This record gives sequence, structure tokens and C-alpha cells, in this order.
Amino acid sequence: MKVSVVTRSGRELVKGGLELTDTATVADLQEAIHKKTKKYYPSRQRLTLPLPSGSKERPTVLNYKKSLKEYTEGNELTVVFKDLGTQVNYSTLFFFEYLGPLILYPIFYYFPVYKIFGYKGERVIYPVQTYAMYYWCFHYFKRIMETFFVHRFSHATSPLSNVFRNCAYYWTFGAWIAYYVNHPLYTPVSDLQMKIGFAFGALCQVSNFYCHILLRNLRKSDGGGYQIPRGFLFNIVTCANYTTEIYQWLGFNIATQTVAGIVFMVVAAAIMTNWALAKHRRLKKLFDGKDGRPKYPRRWVILPPFL
Amino acid sequence: MAGMFSAVRRIYLTVYNWTLFFGWIQVFYLAVSTLWNSGHESVYAAVEKPLILAQSAALLEILHSLAGIVRSPVTATLPQVASRLYVTWGILYSFPEIRTHFFVSSLVISWSITEIIRYSFFGLKEAFGSAPSWLLWLRYSTFLMLYPTGITSEVGLIYYALPYLKESGDKFSIRMPNRWNFSFDYYCNAVLVLGFYVPGSPHLYGYMLEQRKKALAKAKTA
Repeated sequence: MKVSVVTRSGRELVKGGLELTDTATVADLQEAIHKKTKKYYPSRQRLTLPLPSGSKERPTVLNYKKSLKEYTEGNELTVVFKDLGTQVNYSTLFFFEYLGPLILYPIFYYFPVYKIFGYKGERVIYPVQTYAMYYWCFHYFKRIMETFFVHRFSHATSPLSNVFRNCAYYWTFGAWIAYYVNHPLYTPVSDLQMKIGFAFGALCQVSNFYCHILLRNLRKSDGGGYQIPRGFLFNIVTCANYTTEIYQWLGFNIATQTVAGIVFMVVAAAIMTNWALAKHRRLKKLFDGKDGRPKYPRRWVILPPFL
Repeated sequence: MAGMFSAVRRIYLTVYNWTLFFGWIQVFYLAVSTLWNSGHESVYAAVEKPLILAQSAALLEILHSLAGIVRSPVTATLPQVASRLYVTWGILYSFPEIRTHFFVSSLVISWSITEIIRYSFFGLKEAFGSAPSWLLWLRYSTFLMLYPTGITSEVGLIYYALPYLKESGDKFSIRMPNRWNFSFDYYCNAVLVLGFYVPGSPHLYGYMLEQRKKALAKAKTA
């Protein structure tokens, strides 16, 4: 089969095109492009079918598992190539974004950083500050462990630029919250409020871990693709993993009561709500109850009892 | 119904653009005549009211973007309007010590020329559907010089106001300890704002260069 690879500006990426066997898959084509161009390894490539000029529709993205035959009637195929830029593994991205908060937070707790900000004298550490430090570190340690041992990523890689963006987000917020919770002039909440907050937060963290296990098993039973999440909180909420994550921060904020922590929670909730709405919509569209497909059950999206 | 809405939209935007056009004409006239007659120390006092009024009205532009009645994305409008409001209200209005600085003159003149061109351009476009090509050229070319002068003046004014911000102590600031464990330091905030200008200005300039390329290319083919 003859495949011509063009860039989005219409230039031919591989001069003279590529000759592949009739049984070749998209992955084989990507390998062939990599061999010819050297620079563009498969995960950097986004291959789409060409659109008629002026069309505003979204182009069809080629699935690497599928055979090239599925994309053409005859014996020739033209694909549009887009360079996605340097790629990193998702686990690498997650590791670095969580490493920042895990290291930065204890620095504010253990080291005399507030001397730099001009606060003199001995710092009295309240019990809530100690618990908060352990709670925080456990949270990010859990996330790093889950990254390596629990999560199955639907996309293997992410653009390198996301590493800088996400690290800036997590590291800045981490340092900002740590600054206030460990501050020498920190005002603690009542003992009861602290206990309620941490207990509720810890419960949510455990539930969150269980949600991640359930999601992992969902991916294991099938070689990818979407499935209806079931079991535990997923029977009530589509994105129970986000629900527990947000409520776990709520617990932390009830116990520590800082504006910085609340701002972080609200921003995180907004971002996750966007993802959850997209996922909910996708699942509802996919499982529409027609042609023997199961119907997606009625569920909250992310934040019961509101959404 | 749709036709009715689009007519109201056009009338509203025409009135909005021409009102702002006259506002900035007044600012420009007052700034130049005061600069000529009595020197840069008195420019702020002369332009204060129309400047604050015209610049604050730009808040509506964020709403226009959000409501989708203009095409520019809110991510482009918001930082531009916010930084200018910060300089007008947060620096010039709040710290009178800085008002006699020469940068006030260059700031007000840069802003007003840009806005006179911009508002007349969009005012004509909304009213008649198109603007003369020389105005289009001005709209997408004067920024080449007026952005650098305007941004230099903005940054300069914030920078030279820093000592006054520090002296003012608790003005606009929140200190620990408090129940919500929060603090806000107006001086540090100003330093942070200056920091944002470092990546922000080249980004905005690049965005405008792109707009210029698009707009002028379109005019050529049309």
C-alpha cells in the first residue's frame, strides 16, 4: 500500500511517500515515519485523515491499533501529520508534579523559613500543624504510589510543556498553602473542628484509593475503551474518584482553615468538574441504550448533592 | 428575533465605541494641552476624571467578551483591561505621590492615541459594516510603537510607586494573625504584578503582531 504523509500546510513530510504491506497497521506506519524522519517517534505523531478544504469538521484521528485498510477503499492513503512536540510518560509527569508539594511542604514545617520573612523568636507548633503536615505528605505520597502501581493511563504520553505548566500549578499552590498552615502567627480552629476535618478527610482519602482500584480493574478486564464505572461510590457518581479527592481537601480545609487551601480546593474542583462533565457526556453518548448497548444509568456527575 | 438581537447589539456597540472615542479624545486633548502649557506635573490632575471614567468603562469589554457579542476572547481582553485598571486605580488614584511623574504623560498619551484609533475603528465597523483601510492600517500598526511606550510607562509608574507603597504600611493589606489564616501585602502584590509583565508583555505584543498579519492580509485579498 502506498501512503503519502503530508503536513498540515500541505508539504510532503516523507519525500516520495511510503510503501507498506497490505496488512500494515497504523503503528507500522508510525514506525516507518519514525525511521524516515528520525526525529518523530510514534507518540509524537498525530495522524489524521485529510479533510476537504474549508471544512470545519474535526478530522478523524488514526488509531494505532487499527489496520491501514480500515481507512482507505483503494490501495492508496493520504494522512495528515502533526508534530505533538517532545513527549513524556504520564507517570513521569505525575511524579514530578506531586514531588514538589511532597518536598516543599515539610520545608515550611521543619526549617526556619519564616526567619527569612522577618519573623523573629521561637515558633510554637500547634498539634493541628503537625497533623496537617503528616496528612499532606501522606496524600502526595499516596498519589505518587498510585501513579506507579495503580493507575492505567488511557494515553501513554503527554507533551513536555505540560510538565512545566502542571509543576508550576502544584508547586506554587503547595508552597502557598504550606506558608499559611505553618505560619508562626497561625490561628488554629477548635479541637473538635480539627478532629472532624481530619477524620472526614482521611475517610475520603481511603475511599479515593478504593475508587482508583476500581477504575484500574475496569481497564484490566478489557484492552482499553470505555466502560460504565460500577461499584462502591461509582454507583452514585460518575466521577467518584474526583468527588473523594475534592471532599478530602474539604476535610483538610475544615481542619486547617486557610484561605489559600480553600482557593486551591475551588480551583481544583473547577478543573475536575470540567473533566467530569466531559466524561459524563461521553459515557451517556456511548451508552445510549440503543442497538443492544447498555443505557447509562442516572447518576450525579461529580459533586453530589449539587451536580 | 435573531435579527432584532443583532440590530440591538450593533446599536449598543456603536454607541459604546463612540462614547469611549469621545472620552479618550478629551483625555488626549487635556493631556497634550496641559503638557504644553504647564508641564508634566499637572497632567494627572487635568485628565483624572475623564481618564478614570473612560478606563473603568473598559470593564464592559470583559462582559462583551464573556457574553460573546464581540469576537475577541476574554483571555486576551481580561489581562489588558485588568493591568490598566490596576495602574489607574491601584497606583495613580491610590498613591498621589506618583502623579507628578513624567511617565504619567507618556502613559496617558500612549493609551489615548491607541484608544482613539481603536474605538473609531470599531465604531465605524459597527455602524457601517466597514472602516477605511487607512484606519485599519493604523489600528494594527500604531501599537508597534505605542505598546512599548505604554507598557514602559505602566511598569515605570508601578516601579517608582513601590517606595510609596512600602511607606504606606497597611494600606490595602491584610496581616496575620486572623481566623482565616490569610494575609495580603499590597507591596508584594505590586512586585508580583511587575513580574507578570516580564512574560506578559512579549506575549501580548506577539498576539498583536499575529492579529496585524491576519488583518492586513485579509484587507489585501478583500
